[in-house]
Amino acid sequence: MESKEIKEIKTIIDLMEKNDLSVFEIEKDGFRLKLQKGPAAQPAAAAPPAVTLPPKAVTGSQETTALPKPIESKPLKEIVSPMVGTFYRAGSPDGAPFIDIGQTVNEDTVVCIIEAMKVMNEIKAETSGVIAEVVAENGKPVQFGQVLFRVR
Amino acid sequence: MFEKILIANRGEIALRVIRACKELGIRTLAVYSEADVDSLHVQLADESICIGAAPSTESYLKIDRIMSAAEIGDVDAIHPGYGFLAENPDFAEVCESCNIKFIGPSSRAMQAMGDKNSARAFARKAGVPVTPGSDGIVETESDAIRIAKKIGYPVMIKASAGGGGRGMRTAHNEPSLKSAFHSARHEAEKAFGNEQVYIEKLIINPHHIEFQIVADSHGHIVHLGERDCSIQRRNQKVIEECPSPLMTPGLRKKMGNAAVKLAKSVGYENAGTIEFLVDQDRHFYFIEMNTRIQVEHTITEEVYGCDLVKEQIRIAAGQPLSPHIAHATPRLHAIQCRINAEDPEKDFQASPGRIAFYYAPGGRGVRIDSHVYTGYTVPLHYDSLIAKIITVGATRINAIERMRRALGEYYITGIKTTVPFHAAMMRNGEFRDGKYDTSFIERVMSSGKLELTSPAIRLRE
Repeated sequence: MESKEIKEIKTIIDLMEKNDLSVFEIEKDGFRLKLQKGPAAQPAAAAPPAVTLPPKAVTGSQETTALPKPIESKPLKEIVSPMVGTFYRAGSPDGAPFIDIGQTVNEDTVVCIIEAMKVMNEIKAETSGVIAEVVAENGKPVQFGQVLFRVR
Repeated sequence: MFEKILIANRGEIALRVIRACKELGIRTLAVYSEADVDSLHVQLADESICIGAAPSTESYLKIDRIMSAAEIGDVDAIHPGYGFLAENPDFAEVCESCNIKFIGPSSRAMQAMGDKNSARAFARKAGVPVTPGSDGIVETESDAIRIAKKIGYPVMIKASAGGGGRGMRTAHNEPSLKSAFHSARHEAEKAFGNEQVYIEKLIINPHHIEFQIVADSHGHIVHLGERDCSIQRRNQKVIEECPSPLMTPGLRKKMGNAAVKLAKSVGYENAGTIEFLVDQDRHFYFIEMNTRIQVEHTITEEVYGCDLVKEQIRIAAGQPLSPHIAHATPRLHAIQCRINAEDPEKDFQASPGRIAFYYAPGGRGVRIDSHVYTGYTVPLHYDSLIAKIITVGATRINAIERMRRALGEYYITGIKTTVPFHAAMMRNGEFRDGKYDTSFIERVMSSGKLELTSPAIRLRE
């Protein structure tokens, strides 16, 4: 799949979340895609038995940065800052964020940039799971140990 | 004048710097490790940024994280305190290249005097007497033997990159010289990452007398007299006093002039201390220079009526020496006791942990520089200094009696402290007579004559 198509699919997933849709299907030029909310299609290596997102997970909040926490049997893992610097969600000012809510990550997935003294440091997840919350604010300073993301 | 200063330190000195900044109307940014989240200086600073995990190597020694915090905080200057990066020329240089003023000397001057062996060379060049010793680094065991023979035993082997009394070994004869040479090199490599050593004649039972230097960026350098720091345990200062009971006006003039001359020769700027050993015949020898503010700067402040930390900040901001510093004269007598979280009954074993109850003495002529409070947990990752108590009196005996009185009120529970030890020292005849040298504590402790008593008061907690 081309990265452009992956970006488009990410946008569709975002829109599904925002508009509380459970199923999306498209067919165009011999290409067919169906997205359905439910148990994760690709369980991550260390994932517990998948918890189905209740259809009403997004409660109409305008925020795109954090979902209200669904009832969890396991506490969320945290990705914390290993350094002092400024937090950026994307590699460039108008670029797409490295990761979004609902995305699956593994240990080596680059989740963000922390800029320190003009050096852009790519920060890896160091954990695996599904991004549940984006906690740090884009463009704002972060300190050592500060929570950047929460992962299910 | 600076608008915001980052304090690259912790504990009592961080608090000291923040107090000076607050009084000067300068905003403060504290950087701290995860162990110091509840530290008093972090709470009192205007802003704070966590820079790492508890171990110093993971936080207070992380130059990149400190500079990153400085950039985020948009600070004008950094005060390094003492220890940590205070005498690290690389750190000073990084500040210089980032256009953030390092409150202290230039990295060049720091480098010149920070290397103990190079400092001796500068002293010789400036005509300042140095302890007889090797002309430079001693590379091999055979060189060491030859040089020690020439100087005459006993000798001291010292790490060139050393400081704080570490990386030193004594040798009284050739067999012990061989093992001392190698073990000194080994300790130096481990502690300072540099195994180079030089050799000095060991002055028997000297007095450790140091001179406070203050220099502005306009070439004006003065000294603010001496401090006697002879009372040491394992080369760590324990009690300091100003002026020295050994000093005469003539000797003070000679030593003070030598100190100023040496500082001038390396283009020194800001506060610094020149350390000398003085032997029984009142001959003085330069041993090293500390290119930073010192733990015992407090007693000079009390006797000479000045605020050295504020003056550091003013000098760094480009101002000339304050008139009251340029023309300072000593009046009164001051003593400082370093209160450590250590158990004097168990060979000063470290005693970290939660302070259950803390009451500090007060009253006329008593100054406490401390970051601890009731409920504070003394971490185990850093040095054991929890408080400095300073007493001032019209005469030396007044200062001693005041210290004795104040220590009787100093009430700290939950951890062991050296308060009872200092109280015993204030009662000790030799100390009261002012007849002591660097061998004093060892003699007193091994004689078993030191009586440690529990605090005179019992407070309802």
